[in-house]
Amino acid sequence: MTTVQAARGPETPIMAIAGASVSFGAARVLDGIDLELRRGEFVCVVGPSGSGKTTLLRLLSGLQPATTGTVFHQGTVQNGPARGVAIVFQDYAHALLPWRTAAGNVSLALEAAGLPRAQRADRIAALLATVGLAAHADHFPAQMSGGMQQRLQIARCLAQDPDVLLMDEPFGALDAMTRQKLQDEILRIVAASGVTAFFVTHDLEEAIYLGDRVVALEPNPGRVGAIFDVPLPRPRTQLSTREHPEFLRLRRDLFDFIQQFEP
Amino acid sequence: MIGVPRSVLWFLGSCLVLVAGLGLWQVLADSGAIPRAFFPGPDRVWTALHRGFSSGAMIGETLTTVRRMALGWALASVIGVGLGALVGLSPWMRTYVAPTFEGLRPIPASALAPLAVLAFGLSDGMILALIAFGAVWPMLLTTVHGVASVHPRKAEVARLLGLSRLAYAWKIALPAATPDILGGLRLGLTVALILAVVGEMITVQGGLGARIMIAARRFNAADIFAGVALLGAIGLLTNAALSQIEARLLRWTHR
Repeated sequence: MTTVQAARGPETPIMAIAGASVSFGAARVLDGIDLELRRGEFVCVVGPSGSGKTTLLRLLSGLQPATTGTVFHQGTVQNGPARGVAIVFQDYAHALLPWRTAAGNVSLALEAAGLPRAQRADRIAALLATVGLAAHADHFPAQMSGGMQQRLQIARCLAQDPDVLLMDEPFGALDAMTRQKLQDEILRIVAASGVTAFFVTHDLEEAIYLGDRVVALEPNPGRVGAIFDVPLPRPRTQLSTREHPEFLRLRRDLFDFIQQFEP
Repeated sequence: MIGVPRSVLWFLGSCLVLVAGLGLWQVLADSGAIPRAFFPGPDRVWTALHRGFSSGAMIGETLTTVRRMALGWALASVIGVGLGALVGLSPWMRTYVAPTFEGLRPIPASALAPLAVLAFGLSDGMILALIAFGAVWPMLLTTVHGVASVHPRKAEVARLLGLSRLAYAWKIALPAATPDILGGLRLGLTVALILAVVGEMITVQGGLGARIMIAARRFNAADIFAGVALLGAIGLLTNAALSQIEARLLRWTHR
């Protein structure tokens, strides 16, 4: 971790939220949010429903403007979406273009970035290989399983060459086995690319398994309730990590925290 | 599953119905229950078709009608899809311009035929204008609906990727609206054939519509029926061609 920071230069957080709130009309969804994302770290966000998890992610993406306060990206004020910040949406079926093949969907991000046609094919092949879809380049999304479509969306996000990867319950719609498989893949991809990951989930164990830190939100209005450091060793593995005493302790702490707000 | 596929049985079944219909028509015509002067049997219609084609006149007239129909339809498509995309992608235009469309759409194009004659004379131009006016509405309205109802997630993806408005229209909105647009093009195709015939009956400048009109003035019922049969065939074939294109363009919707 420290070597990564040294290689990437200054200690300034890659993204920061300072005193931000978000209101929809009279309803305040997020209030007084202060949060920093350090370069290369994996931050997970949990919280009871109504705590503004998705709004927080959209605030970071620039899709949702702050009602008050400021969002910084690379030390400068962020006014709207930037190519360096990618989102993996939960509803991959709506986020992908069903009339384009897997290769065509990845290509969209490269076209948007103005990459010349001649250079796209190699990049697309490499990105599809990264997410394990090399053999499915010519398939349409409708011909792929949910897990494969979500991998495809991740590949398109990586094609943006982002420094921050925001994920909004990306595995929420997938079955348990696919979910575990994709958890390990996203850890591998994030580690390999050095991207900073911000991962919203309602699954406490998923948050601990993936994260360097877990941000727990409080509801009504959404605030940062607590931040848990996750000192579990990496690489993480589905069996031994989940049996680690520290994992079990964190699971209890997080569960107790969330439980306060459940009716 | 057992021997012959179901689709083949359906096809054979519908052929049988067609043959039975033709047989009934022949029996009815031969019985003389309806005066033969305006109700010729299939045999006389066939003879009229045969005569028309062997003299070569009918081939030319069929091609004239198909050409007018195709040109008018293409004109309506370009206007309908282009304008529809413009209106559908702009909330401002949707609010202020779309209601005008709703007001113009119910006007029967054939009622505007005299106006088209005044503007263009008894010419091809008049027929094209008539077709374009009548066929543009289904294309326009389906395109507006199609591009306006793209899932908001796709618009967000476009924003995140930094796509320009033009790139959004071309790469996301129009492809997403393709199923709607194709429906409009298909409806427009039917309208185009109807109005091509109406226009030809008014201008009497060649084409099957004019031929039917002239046959009626000569009390030649067999020639009328021959023209109608050809128009039916044109409608069937153009529709089938569009279905082929549709299946190709929409192959992503099937597994």
